[in-house]
Amino acid sequence: MSLARTSSGDIVKRQYAFKLKAHIDSYSSLVGIQMLALLFSFGGVGSMGSYGDGLNLEVKYYSSDLVLVFTAIWAFVTATTLTTRPYRNHDFTFVSNRLTSSLSNILFLASISLAGALTAMLAGNLLKVFVFIFADGPIYNQGTGLADLAAGTVIALFYLFLVTSAGYLIGSLVQVSKLFVILIPVVFFGSLFLDAVANREPIVNNVFQFYIMESSLLLLMVKTLITSAALLAAAVAILNRLEVRR
Amino acid sequence: MKVVECNGLTKAYLKKEALKGLTFSLEDHKITGLIGRNGAGKTTLLKLIAGFTKETSGEIKVFGERPFNSLSVSANSIFVDDQMSFPPALQLAELLEEAARFYHNFDSGLAKRLFDYFGFKADGYHNRLSKGKTSIFNGIIGIASRCPLTIFDEPTTGMDESARKDFYRALLKDYIAHPRSIILSSHHIDEIEDLLEDVLLLKEGKQLLHEPVSELKEWAHGIKGPSEKVLKASEGHDILYRQLTGADTLYAAVRDFSGTLLDAAAGAGLEVTPVRVSDLFIYLTNETKGGIDDVFSQN
Repeated sequence: MSLARTSSGDIVKRQYAFKLKAHIDSYSSLVGIQMLALLFSFGGVGSMGSYGDGLNLEVKYYSSDLVLVFTAIWAFVTATTLTTRPYRNHDFTFVSNRLTSSLSNILFLASISLAGALTAMLAGNLLKVFVFIFADGPIYNQGTGLADLAAGTVIALFYLFLVTSAGYLIGSLVQVSKLFVILIPVVFFGSLFLDAVANREPIVNNVFQFYIMESSLLLLMVKTLITSAALLAAAVAILNRLEVRR
Repeated sequence: MKVVECNGLTKAYLKKEALKGLTFSLEDHKITGLIGRNGAGKTTLLKLIAGFTKETSGEIKVFGERPFNSLSVSANSIFVDDQMSFPPALQLAELLEEAARFYHNFDSGLAKRLFDYFGFKADGYHNRLSKGKTSIFNGIIGIASRCPLTIFDEPTTGMDESARKDFYRALLKDYIAHPRSIILSSHHIDEIEDLLEDVLLLKEGKQLLHEPVSELKEWAHGIKGPSEKVLKASEGHDILYRQLTGADTLYAAVRDFSGTLLDAAAGAGLEVTPVRVSDLFIYLTNETKGGIDDVFSQN
């Protein structure tokens, strides 16, 4: 029987298509978590009132930011799940090596980031529809239109991809040693406490600002992409050494 | 062509050595049986061959390549056992489609016919199958994939008698039509004895023997008669197993070293019988010469 020749690219493509089908459950959990976020958002994120001269003014703010936050949590969890043993084993039932397994995972993560970003932005529109139907009084809104939707989706996509990359690295660290389950939160919260005790601005804050407060779209893309690439490269290097099905 | 080559292959899990310096090679287009007691290192060896795990020391080559992280070895080999892991979201028929997309030689027609014969439902789910059905389904994928190196690790776990017979018959028929290298590990040696061409016997992580089955059939003789005569006749030969069957009647499985055993036994008027291959394996892999009876005998 002659040996079959395969190329990594071909197998990555097949595995990617396989994963889009196999992880169908993650899409339904995305829908669920966004619905939940919408429910919370519908209460409004803030309100302001003033009273005087027989005039009563009440302003209520709605925002769908929470949807994006929840979507980010979902993306993080999905990325870490991919590194767990059963998911890695699935690949090795069929044709795989560790590199193609990771590369197809990364393609999958990029896809769910796009799906998450697009649905999160559209969920914002859904919130507007709800408010329009159920709230009284005049409605003012900002950030509508196709251009805003497109920009929002692109930004959300890059953030979500960053989050999934972090999730993939953290997940792979945990696969090496379960100690990281404790170690990573300890380092995260520990640094917050330390900075608070030392009375300086928390370093975690600086990290967040570095990414979140970037006003240039291009710079934001460069920053998140480079960071994602570094995180993923580390994860691939770690996963490349791990045994499966032992 | 050598399909699998091992040289001083050692695998340790947390300091405990499961394989201790194996050296052997498997030829192309043969069905090799991997035999050994529980914990002898069979599964450990098979997982190394499949590239799932990394050797601790020594060398392993499959199709001339180190299997760990080799895409070519993965594409040309399949590892079938009852722990095969499939995504729970896909239905059985979809799993067959996926297997066909990944394995170059996959015969979808054969897979479908076996699938129907064994009464699977296309919209069933793998994690809801019973133990025996799981093994059958995995076996179907293993046979239909027609990988140049097909590895079955205890493929019949949980299958009923007739399913086991059907499975081995299907395997043999497909092997004859499409020869390939098959490694088969099983505890039911009687069932696979006629299927095997070569046998690799492991004991405590070491290789005990690697021979064609045909030679093993003549490897040892069973001698029965009065104890003294049996012991005298087998002097200078290797007694693999002994059992007292009556007050003074001894049965001994003896390996003939010099070709004089049969004459000696016939001269002493002893009963000589062939030793079944499956019994031979039990004798060879047992810790003691008397088997479990030694535990209960007072002296």
